[in-house]
Amino acid sequence: MAIIEVNRVCKDFHVHTRRPGILSSVKSLFWREYEVKKAVQDISFQIAQGELVGYIGPNGAGKSTTVKMLSGILVPTSGSILVDGRTPHLNRQENARHMGVVFGQRSQLYWDLPMVETFDLYRKMYRIDEPRFRENVAFYVDLLDMQEFLHRPVRQLSLGQKMRANLAVALLHDPKIVYLDEPTIGLDVVGKSRIRRFLREVNEQKKTTVILTTHDMDDIEEICNRIIMIHEGRILFDGLLADFKRKFSKGHMLTVECAQADVSVPDPRLRVIRDQDGRASILFQPNEITVVEAVTCVMQHNRVLDLGIREPEIEEIIREFYEDMKQV
Amino acid sequence: MSRVKLYLQLILIQLQSMMEYRAVFLFGAVAQALAYGAHFLLIWVMVNKFDGIAGWSPYEVTLLYGLNLFSYSTAGIFCLNSFYGLGGMIRSGEFDNVLTKPLNPFLLISFRQFNYGYFSHLSLSGFVIALSWARLEIPVTGTNLLFLLVTLVSGALIQAAMFIFTGVPAFWIVRSEGLAEILMWDVGYFVRYPITVYNSGIQILLTLIVPYAFVSFYPVQFFLAKNDVCMFHPVFRFLSPVVGAAMFAAAYRFWRFGLDRYESTGS
Repeated sequence: MAIIEVNRVCKDFHVHTRRPGILSSVKSLFWREYEVKKAVQDISFQIAQGELVGYIGPNGAGKSTTVKMLSGILVPTSGSILVDGRTPHLNRQENARHMGVVFGQRSQLYWDLPMVETFDLYRKMYRIDEPRFRENVAFYVDLLDMQEFLHRPVRQLSLGQKMRANLAVALLHDPKIVYLDEPTIGLDVVGKSRIRRFLREVNEQKKTTVILTTHDMDDIEEICNRIIMIHEGRILFDGLLADFKRKFSKGHMLTVECAQADVSVPDPRLRVIRDQDGRASILFQPNEITVVEAVTCVMQHNRVLDLGIREPEIEEIIREFYEDMKQV
Repeated sequence: MSRVKLYLQLILIQLQSMMEYRAVFLFGAVAQALAYGAHFLLIWVMVNKFDGIAGWSPYEVTLLYGLNLFSYSTAGIFCLNSFYGLGGMIRSGEFDNVLTKPLNPFLLISFRQFNYGYFSHLSLSGFVIALSWARLEIPVTGTNLLFLLVTLVSGALIQAAMFIFTGVPAFWIVRSEGLAEILMWDVGYFVRYPITVYNSGIQILLTLIVPYAFVSFYPVQFFLAKNDVCMFHPVFRFLSPVVGAAMFAAAYRFWRFGLDRYESTGS
């Protein structure tokens, strides 16, 4: 049973077109010209309770627009959205009661309040009953290691501490769904991995549905089991991470260093993409030729000094993908 | 009941934040009180010099001024940062956060952005009203006090409605502060004086289109037993509550209309 159902949703924005010159500025006071920008075009997907979904795409692809429609901030131009049985923009407050959001750097916190008081405010705002409140505060403070900065005003916290605090606040009322927009942006390696571990843990313990937009592919790799890729307002891929790799990856990369100058690879399933002074990069599809076969073939025909094999990283796949899209 | 507590807590948080920077706050409050105090003196001196204007004595004019400033500040406490500041909240993306809370966004921004700065205007105008009231020897009767209260509340509703009407266009034109500056302050300043000093066009404007005259000019005549109603009927002095309620209701409708058309900003 899907907790989020998005059915043929479009969202158009009316962008005011400006023309240069003082005369047209004066004219625009009375008559404005608009250009319709299709931010999201006919997208559909379903998400089940407890899924960890990475929502990816280049800047301006329509990620934030989608998340804002799911959270009830924006009204879709057409199509229907059901989140836990409700249409978000028509039941904005009720929808908000069952969701948590962290929108990147935009803080949910009060600058001058310490976290203990912020927690108390959110307890009242979401009408969290006392035992559950105490339990959740303890749970998040422990899991996010917040004890040391609980009593300091938020303005004195580091970026990483603020992000942890934002996550705790977003999850305090046990939302069924949490929308995270770039939750690890600007954090150091330790900070990032702490947040990734945290999200998996929360998902496991509370069955929270997580929808995550990010440009950091390690986030996707370490948190999500499903990705939805959007480009220019349309969904290009929706499925498992492994399938995504299989579909869009150009293949495995074999790098060899040989004693002789030219690398000889007689098998057509192996494509040499670079060959220079005995160092070669060879691309192959593991569904056409197994790793063992590929390595054996190279070993048989060359005097190999060193050899390495690398699975494609999602970051690379996506980068190539974006570049291809731009060229089209 | 728990909602009332929550909104009170939002106001207290503002106070707490402000106390962190109390020097800045106190300096601002004193500066505002001095500036408005100077306005008040200027009006008094000027009207006194001319032996009254349009048949209004100096303290009658300062009573107008006091009522006007009091209702403006009451509205401003809730509406300045929220509605005049709406464009800024939209630009910064803060308004997205508002919409993700399980609360009525109208109430949330009015309370969360509570402006303590206006307490200095409020105390100054309270003083001006009391002083003018005493000098004019208006009897302190139950009826008069009730009428004063109703006048202040109606005036605050009219002023709040103006804040909302001028703020909501931020949903379409992201920079719309100019509208408030013209309608709230420039036009609002007209009603510091009895509107009978202006030509009939401005009187109509201030009565029927931007009905600031109902904030002070019409109701104050009840206390002063005046009949300076220009072209309109004497019953207008009793209409402020109706005008206030109607304007506020219309402003709320306009807010809802704007909210449905909110387009957020890219991020």
